[in-house]
Amino acid sequence: MWYNSNNYPTFKHFVPYVTYTMSEDPSLIACHACDLLLKKPVTSPGKKLICPRCKSTLYHKKIDSVNKVMAISFSGLLLYYPAIFAPLLTLSSAGMTQKGSVFDAFLSFYHQEYYFVAVILFLTSIFFPLFKLSLLLSITIQIKLQIYSRSLPFLFRTANSLDEWSMPDVYLIAILVSIIKISGIATIHYNLGFVSFVFLTIMTRATASAIDSELFWQKVFQLKKSVKGVPANG
Amino acid sequence: MAEKYGKRQTAMESGFITCHDCGNLVRAGTPPEVSHLGCPRCNALIHARKPHSLSRTWALIITSAVLFFPANLLPIMRVDFMGSQQYSTIMDGIFYFFHEKEYGIGVIIFTASILVPFFKIIGMTLILLSIQFNWKSWLRHKTAMFHFIEFIGRWSMLDIFVIALMATLVNFGSLTSTQAAPAASYFTAVVLCTMFAALTFDSRLLWDTDVSSP
Repeated sequence: MWYNSNNYPTFKHFVPYVTYTMSEDPSLIACHACDLLLKKPVTSPGKKLICPRCKSTLYHKKIDSVNKVMAISFSGLLLYYPAIFAPLLTLSSAGMTQKGSVFDAFLSFYHQEYYFVAVILFLTSIFFPLFKLSLLLSITIQIKLQIYSRSLPFLFRTANSLDEWSMPDVYLIAILVSIIKISGIATIHYNLGFVSFVFLTIMTRATASAIDSELFWQKVFQLKKSVKGVPANG
Repeated sequence: MAEKYGKRQTAMESGFITCHDCGNLVRAGTPPEVSHLGCPRCNALIHARKPHSLSRTWALIITSAVLFFPANLLPIMRVDFMGSQQYSTIMDGIFYFFHEKEYGIGVIIFTASILVPFFKIIGMTLILLSIQFNWKSWLRHKTAMFHFIEFIGRWSMLDIFVIALMATLVNFGSLTSTQAAPAASYFTAVVLCTMFAALTFDSRLLWDTDVSSP
C-alpha cells in the first residue's frame, strides 16, 4: 500500500471518521426527491407509495420482478442481432433500391466525419441497449442461482444508471418519422430488421417497467451478507 | 413557505443519508458529513446531497443555453438533389412537414427538438434560481416539473436519429442524397448537457430551508 497504518493520510475526507451502520430502524425510509423521513408503510404488490410532501413516487412494488426481468431481457437479447444489423427498410425509387440498418445509420455519421455525433449515436442506439439487457440477464441469473461476485452491486448500479441512456424507444419514433418523410419520394418495403426493432423496443421498455429496484437491492444485499457476513461498519 | 406542506423532519436533520444509487437509508452523524465511504448495500459513495450540485447544474445549463443558438440557427441537414445542394435548419424541417400537411409529425418534431430543449433550459433555470434566492413557493409543482424534465430529456435525440436514418436510406448516389450539417453536433451537445444537468441536480435542495447546506 502507498501508506502504512502509522502514517495515516492527512486528507480529512480519507479518514473514516463517520462509522456507517445499517439504519437501526428498518421501518424508516426517506424520500429521494425531498429527503422527508417517513415510516415505511406495508406495501402490497402492484401498489405505489407516494411521498406526502412532494408527491413523488417513493416505491412501486412489482409482481414477480426477478423472473419477469430475466425472461424479458433474454428475449430482448435474442432479438438484438436482427434489430441492429438486419436492414430495416428497403426503398425503391426510379428503379434503384436502397437498404439500411440501425448500424448503417451510425456508420453514415461516422463516414461524414461527425465523430462526436457518431459516438453518441453508437452508445445510445447500439451499445447501451445491448449492455443493459446483458447486465440485467447476468444480474437476474446471479440472483436466481445465488452466486455473489464482488462486482454484482456495481453491475446493478450501472444497469440502473443506463436506464435513460439507452434509447431504442426514441429511435423507433425516429424510424416512424423517417418512414412518413420518405413515403412521398419512394416505395417502402419493411424488412426483418424493422419487426425485430419494434419488439426489441417493447422488450427494453418492459424490462424498465418490470424491474423492482428495491427488491433487487434487497436480494443483492442478502447475497452479499451471506458471503461476507453482516458488515460491521459498511 | 415550506411550512405550508407541514413542518416535518428530513433524513439529513435526523442523521440519516439516503444512498443516491440504491435508496438505502444509512445512519450517519448529525449533521451528516460527506464521506468517501461506500453504501453498505451497493458500495456507491454516500453524500447527504449530490456534491456541487448547484454549480455543476448551472454550468451545464448555461452551456446548453449557449449551444442552443448554433443548434437552431445553423443548418442541420443537407439534401443534394440532381447536383444542387440545399441546406435546412431544424425549423425548415418543421415548416416542410406543415407545408406537406403532415401536421402530426410536424408537431412531434417541433416538440422534441425545439420545445423540449427550450422548456428544459427555462425550467431548470427557474428551479436553480428559486434555490439560489430561496423562493419557497410552488415547491410541489417545481418537483413535479423536475421529474418531467428528467423524463423528457432523452426524447430530444429524435431529430438526430431521423437525420442518421435519412442519410442512410435516402442515398441514391448522385441523384439524391442526404447528409448531416454542422448543427447536428451542436444539437447533440445541447441534449447531452441538459441530460447531464438533470443528473447532477439534486431536487432535495429545493426542500432544504437553508441554501448553504451541502
